[in-house]
Amino acid sequence: MGVLDILKGKFVDPTYAGVHGGGDIITTTVDAVVKWGRKSSIWPMPFGTACCAIEFMALTGSHYDLARFGAEVLRFSPRQSDLMFVAGTIPDKLGPVLKTIYDQMPEPKWVISMGVCASSGGFYRSYHVMQGIDELIPVDVYVPGCPPSPEGLVAAVMKIQEKIQTSQQAGAPQGAHRVGANGEGMYDRRARRAEWAKDDAERRAAGLPPRGVLSDLKPEPEIDHGAHHG
Amino acid sequence: MASAALPALSPALLEQPAVRVLSEALGENLLGATDFRGEVAITVDRKAWLKAVSLLKDHPELDYKLFLDLCGVDFLDREEEPERFVVVLHLYSVSKKRHVRLRTPVPEADPKLPTITPLFKGANWFEREAWDMYGIVFEGHPNLIRLLTHDAFVGHPLRKDYPQGQRHVLKEPRKWLLDVPHESEHLVINLGPSHPAMHGCFRVQALLDGEIVRDAEAEIGYMHRNFEKMVEARTYWQVIPYTDRLNYCSSFMNGHGWALAVEKLLGVPAPPRAEAVRVILSEFSRIMDHFVCISTNVVDLGAITPFFVVFRGREKIYELLESCCGARLTVSYVRIGGLAQDVPEDFVARCRETLDFVMDAAKQMDELLTRNVIFTRRFRDIGVMSKEDALSYGWAGPALRGSGVETDVRRDAPYSGYDQYDFDVPVGTTGDCYDRYLVRMEEIRQSARIIRQALDKLPAGPVIVDDRKVALPPKSEVYGNIESLMNHFKLVYDGILPPAGEVYGATEGANGELGYYVVSDGSKHPWRVKVRPPCYNNYQAYPQLLKGGQIADAIAIIGGLNVIAGELDR
Ligand code: SF4
Repeated sequence: MGVLDILKGKFVDPTYAGVHGGGDIITTTVDAVVKWGRKSSIWPMPFGTACCAIEFMALTGSHYDLARFGAEVLRFSPRQSDLMFVAGTIPDKLGPVLKTIYDQMPEPKWVISMGVCASSGGFYRSYHVMQGIDELIPVDVYVPGCPPSPEGLVAAVMKIQEKIQTSQQAGAPQGAHRVGANGEGMYDRRARRAEWAKDDAERRAAGLPPRGVLSDLKPEPEIDHGAHHG
Repeated sequence: MASAALPALSPALLEQPAVRVLSEALGENLLGATDFRGEVAITVDRKAWLKAVSLLKDHPELDYKLFLDLCGVDFLDREEEPERFVVVLHLYSVSKKRHVRLRTPVPEADPKLPTITPLFKGANWFEREAWDMYGIVFEGHPNLIRLLTHDAFVGHPLRKDYPQGQRHVLKEPRKWLLDVPHESEHLVINLGPSHPAMHGCFRVQALLDGEIVRDAEAEIGYMHRNFEKMVEARTYWQVIPYTDRLNYCSSFMNGHGWALAVEKLLGVPAPPRAEAVRVILSEFSRIMDHFVCISTNVVDLGAITPFFVVFRGREKIYELLESCCGARLTVSYVRIGGLAQDVPEDFVARCRETLDFVMDAAKQMDELLTRNVIFTRRFRDIGVMSKEDALSYGWAGPALRGSGVETDVRRDAPYSGYDQYDFDVPVGTTGDCYDRYLVRMEEIRQSARIIRQALDKLPAGPVIVDDRKVALPPKSEVYGNIESLMNHFKLVYDGILPPAGEVYGATEGANGELGYYVVSDGSKHPWRVKVRPPCYNNYQAYPQLLKGGQIADAIAIIGGLNVIAGELDR
């Protein structure tokens, strides 16, 4: 459907409740047309920081071709875009930068969190990595994967289009209550080693072997790897 | 491992020139020396630190001019070390093709050491990092502030008693990197941390006088995701996925380097077929990395055609990797002792087809760029790096060779059977952007040469060692007999248990010498892993290259250094 069709009044959008049909004339609302236009011409801003950004390139390249969804106009300036792709790990040092860039985008805006790093910190559960960008900014679609496949991203863009059409927008950062939440492994190694040593000493005094040490078992006899016994 | 009171050095050790010269010059300040897996490590007292470093650098017999790496290690309460911290320096001698490790113990109560920045320019950031990570103070350092972590950070995260997950929230980024006088009329601009031409998150602040850059300063750490802390809580093979994400433009090579380092520590070489496949895929990755580097560099300067041409080739290489292991980008294909599984049956034919396609793309790029007047005008005599400075900064790979230093780990310390292949090491003459570009283009051709030779004599046989203490038994056996099941269980539960000791495994990554310094205490987790990231050293010199030049050249220069954030900040 082209612009001319809309001007001629032929536009109908079945997903929008406010559209009425009657006789030869189809009426629509400005609202529906605006949304239709918006969803068909998304201007994404790639906030690529790490490995995911490399896969993001594949999405915009010729094979997967984001242009089919009208979203090929990548804008590196947040002020000209309405969809932010956060592609990659966001360390704490980058947090304020991410927030600033998000704030600079004009309303209405949507956010796709690409990859497990952006969504939850991924397998970097440590002292300098934000455990999900939704600590700071609202996220509309999370895409799993490390990195997600380009197909997954296409699906995410279609989800965003759906959201645009039905006027849904994430309101507040979903993980705001988790700001500064710790990653895994909150032990102090020195304290733990002291504890173990104490425990071991007690067990030794009681005549017991150390706890949970597999290599403390007697060495196995040499195994002949060639032999098979059913 | 060197102990504090080594009574006398063995004659074999004294034959090593570095040990002999240092023991003669330092006397009792030389605390010990070891030769483990063919690597010489010398421990000196910190009183003699500066003297030892300058001897290593300037003594004609030693000539360790190339700065590789400096890092701290925290031994906490390990008895074999006299003090809690040890500072470790790695140097390389291009003329003698020798490598040395210099260590010095630093007590916890008074963690101070004189700086070596006057001797090696590259030491600047490494010392800052050691301070950031361990709290070791380098006296006389020009700018000892946080480098990788942010300003609101409390504590020194790589210390063993710092909890791995303890975060601190940053509210305000660091505003000023430069000292700008209040009444200055010069313009201050920030390139990055989010800038379309920066290819990742790093930042440069430049002071402009019109179009001329008067002063510049760089900041990194925006992609610091704690590789080194994470792997201390992982087993040796669990580290492989993390290595993929260091230089993610050529993931395979990082895993290759890691596997080699651990194999060196274990003393278990991989079988010949695995090594040959590793070489082939590494060289493909190198081509891919150079493609991305060159094409994105010229995209930033306005030439977008080469990008489309070579990215088709890159997609082909991705397909090849995918056919081997199922993943495109983050491959995790190597294992300690070999490869995860054998290559597909039509591997050789596939490789040849891919190679032809890729080399055609390379040829097209060559035709589009090498003699293109606009391109050469933008690239010639821009960002010139002298040979001496390149060595002092510890540059690596195509950048170092572009400055005329003829060194290549593949040729000088061959691993994975690189000595069986015939290839040339291209070097530049002026050290400008154009030289770096030419070196990369030639390396693409040399890589193709290596791949062709490796394909011609690809050996048959297993792709992983048959050692049940290193490699998992094949699945069919695990399900078929009890011993293999037990071996499988024990290896998964206990992990690989290497001997205690330290090794530095170096490979020639796409960006240059990628080193893994691994300290093992004999348990299933590495005690300390330090990556020597090649682009870290390259990027460190970036502000110097900018000064006095046009601001527009900044973009041409940064692309040629090929800074990859994942590797830069780890
Ligand atoms: S999700 Fe995986 S691929 Fe993406 S940035 Fe994180 S580590 Fe890299």
